[in-house]
Amino acid sequence: MDILQFPINMLNYFYEISGVEVGQHFYWQIGGFQVHAQVLITSWIVIAVLLGSATLAVRDPQIIPNGAQNFLEYVLEFVRDLARTQIGEEEYGPWVPFIGTMFLFIFVSNWAGALFPWGIIKLPHGELAAPTNDINTTVALALLTSVAYFYAGFTKRGLGYFGKYIQPTPILLPINILEDFTKPLSLSFRLFGNILADELVVAVLVSLVPIVVPIPVMFLGLFTSGIQALIFATLAAAYIGESMEGHH
Amino acid sequence: MKNVTDSFISLSSAEGFGLNTNILETNIINLSVVLGVLIYFGKGVLSNLLDNRKQKISSTIQSSEELCKGAANQLEQARARLREVERRVREIRVNGYSQIQQEKNDLINVASINLKQLENLKNETIHLEQERVIELVQKQISYQAVQRALGTLNSRLNSELHLRTIEHNIDLLLAMKNITD
Repeated sequence: MDILQFPINMLNYFYEISGVEVGQHFYWQIGGFQVHAQVLITSWIVIAVLLGSATLAVRDPQIIPNGAQNFLEYVLEFVRDLARTQIGEEEYGPWVPFIGTMFLFIFVSNWAGALFPWGIIKLPHGELAAPTNDINTTVALALLTSVAYFYAGFTKRGLGYFGKYIQPTPILLPINILEDFTKPLSLSFRLFGNILADELVVAVLVSLVPIVVPIPVMFLGLFTSGIQALIFATLAAAYIGESMEGHH
Repeated sequence: MKNVTDSFISLSSAEGFGLNTNILETNIINLSVVLGVLIYFGKGVLSNLLDNRKQKISSTIQSSEELCKGAANQLEQARARLREVERRVREIRVNGYSQIQQEKNDLINVASINLKQLENLKNETIHLEQERVIELVQKQISYQAVQRALGTLNSRLNSELHLRTIEHNIDLLLAMKNITD
């Protein structure tokens, strides 16, 4: 027992100085499910921010846009250009809301996680962070993308959509089927890994040297967060465009 | 082993919602520096971008408004020209009608004058011809009468009658001579 006691005390000590919590969640029991409450709370805040800014932008629409309206119109133009370049001139219209939702939610989540001092609010368990540093959020977003591109393919080409699985040669059928599983997998893990890694690096650096040293890494984190949001939205648009276009 | 799990539980267990006022733990200093730098540099870039966008939009609207105004002007001018042309067309049509009427009347007048002249000529010709024919007939008749009278004279003339006639003629001539004297 004495032998065991020492490492635990050591552990306790290291825990105190690091304060980095990985795999700690604040659970809510909803029905038969345990949900990660900290993710839901930050998601709601992100959603509230997005809805609030959208409401602010359309509250008093003007011919020559000003302030928030100007900014959000610029963002919308950006998303529309992204969707147009990836999906194509004819069909990008109906997919702008989906791509825009993906991009804005991920981007605002990432930046909120990187810029807002969530540590101020103490939870019974775990800590508040970007919703995208939980694998459940990113998997949900990636599965939505999968559903979206299947839906796009079926509505555009009907059962002929399955023809794309034997497109270059029938030999590639297994690989093409496998692609449908790897796409959401890679999407979700890329986003999750990047954001979690960024937050962990910042947290570890803060625990080691609290002042100044984490700042460059935090800027790097901001950059990565933006890039990841852009990558996710671009890839989602590219998958949708590819499934409607019909060849690789 | 129970000790180990207990200590883990005690590590992770907390007392509920609350505020963490530890400045180092909440990383507030670094975050405010990052936010400050972001706002300091981002604001200029963003406001520049948005101003450019606003200016572009307003200039586009202005230019399109000008284009619209120009097009409206041109439309107005074209309409005015159309009205002018229509007016002239009406004028020309009216003029043409009156001219045609005039010409028609003139032609009718000339034709009727010609007709009258021709009628006169015809009447005259007919008249002349009639007179000629009448004269011819008269000549013929008088010739025939003289012929018949000569025939009758030749058949009925004898010396006594001849003498009486001569006597009578001499008396006539005497009487005429007396009258002339």
